[in-house]
Amino acid sequence: MAEELHTRKVLEPLGWILQLLTGLLLAILITFHFFETHLIAHDALAFENVIARLTDPAHKVMYGLLLASVSFHAFNGLRAILLDTEFGARNTKAINILIVLVILGAFIYGLGLLFTF
Amino acid sequence: MDLLKWFEVRGKSLFYISYSLHRITGLILVLYLVMHLSYLTSLRFGEEIYESFIATTVTPTFLIFDILLVLVGVYHGVNGLRLILHEFGLAYDVRRPILYLSYFLVLVLWLYASYKLYVFIVGV
Amino acid sequence: MENKDKSNMGRDVIFRIKRFDGEKSYWSDFVVPAQKGMTVLEGLYYIKGTYDGSLSFRASCRMGICGSCAMKINDKPRLACETQILQLNSSKIKIEPLDNFRVLKDLITDFEGFFAKHEAVKPYLIRKDDNYAEPVELIQKPEELHAYYDFTLCIKCGACFSVCPAAATRDDYLGPAAMAAAYRFNIDTRDEGRDERMFMVCSDVGVWRCHFAAECSEVCPKNIEPAKAIQKLRFQAAVHMIKKALKRW
Repeated sequence: MAEELHTRKVLEPLGWILQLLTGLLLAILITFHFFETHLIAHDALAFENVIARLTDPAHKVMYGLLLASVSFHAFNGLRAILLDTEFGARNTKAINILIVLVILGAFIYGLGLLFTF
Repeated sequence: MDLLKWFEVRGKSLFYISYSLHRITGLILVLYLVMHLSYLTSLRFGEEIYESFIATTVTPTFLIFDILLVLVGVYHGVNGLRLILHEFGLAYDVRRPILYLSYFLVLVLWLYASYKLYVFIVGV
Repeated sequence: MENKDKSNMGRDVIFRIKRFDGEKSYWSDFVVPAQKGMTVLEGLYYIKGTYDGSLSFRASCRMGICGSCAMKINDKPRLACETQILQLNSSKIKIEPLDNFRVLKDLITDFEGFFAKHEAVKPYLIRKDDNYAEPVELIQKPEELHAYYDFTLCIKCGACFSVCPAAATRDDYLGPAAMAAAYRFNIDTRDEGRDERMFMVCSDVGVWRCHFAAECSEVCPKNIEPAKAIQKLRFQAAVHMIKKALKRW
């Protein structure tokens, strides 16, 4: 019974801890992001202001961190939901690989935008 | 469908309802993230196209979606902080007061953010 | 005083029971003359004796210790023997078998998988120095006992498993009861089998499927708080697995 039910996943605990840590980080970063774009200045979303933020090194770091944690948190969360189903139980490996690709894809796509400006 | 059992809240406590809502808001936020990241590509096409995107989405008509999105985000955030606390094995014995506190916080933060958004987009 | 007199009088209550005969499921209604102090289980025996001998349910001790009679009463899983009819305060009582279990007949569900999962986490003391020829007393301080004592009170009634959203969509999920048992033995100072137990607990069907809906703790008739055990167990599991991975390097 034990052998039958068991599938070893060394990345599971790291995924869980990172989900909690990125969650904490996102609570701070998204609140800041929301304040900056919606609550402080009325023209925060004007083109030149957005470009100005994107070229500012401090903002680049902040956006990079936000991008990395949100990509991980969102799609790792989706993975947890998928693995909660019978479908996920049958296709665990495929889902894990797909999710890693999606996380990397979202991260690289965002980095592309960050480095263009 | 078995998946609907995640959202079967009849006879369940507020803890379970929070679980269902956390799952729904999470899925909505994943969709929003994809939309938000795609939207940013408009920056590559220059000022004119970007500003036309902004002109259609930052409007009083879209305000209702913004306010709903803020509710979804604030809920997922505050409830998520509660879950993080408990998943690290902390404060389990006061989980009920913390649960009620989290709903109160969601309401306060949402009303505050919605008011500020309203002022920002519509003006006073 | 007036209220007390009223509840003493007793009244007729309708039992609306979900039936299953192996092929189709249907609802049956029965009228039960409820007295003060009468339990739902006694109501079921009354129905079986008076109206319909084919009504099937599992029960044994009638005093909340065998864990046989958990069923969904007015949408909540409870022990039929510990739920008094008049205290439910409704003229119609809806009784269904537990969710997340396969129904065999009427209110009887299949517990084979549930018990197998319990067995899979090795819920017993594992010692490296077992010597049955010359047994030695295993010494434990009171505070070491109190650390796990509450979790020993589980009666395996399945109420927690029936409300767990992870168990609803994964048949192979260990579930709250089995993992609470694993935690109970993991933190027992006399135990040396943590590694063996973690093998199951850390797997795909173990702690990673729990997202703290915490409904298991809400419905547990013994208040053993399985949700608490699982959160602590998951932390233990994460530390255990990361340590192992580092050692392998």
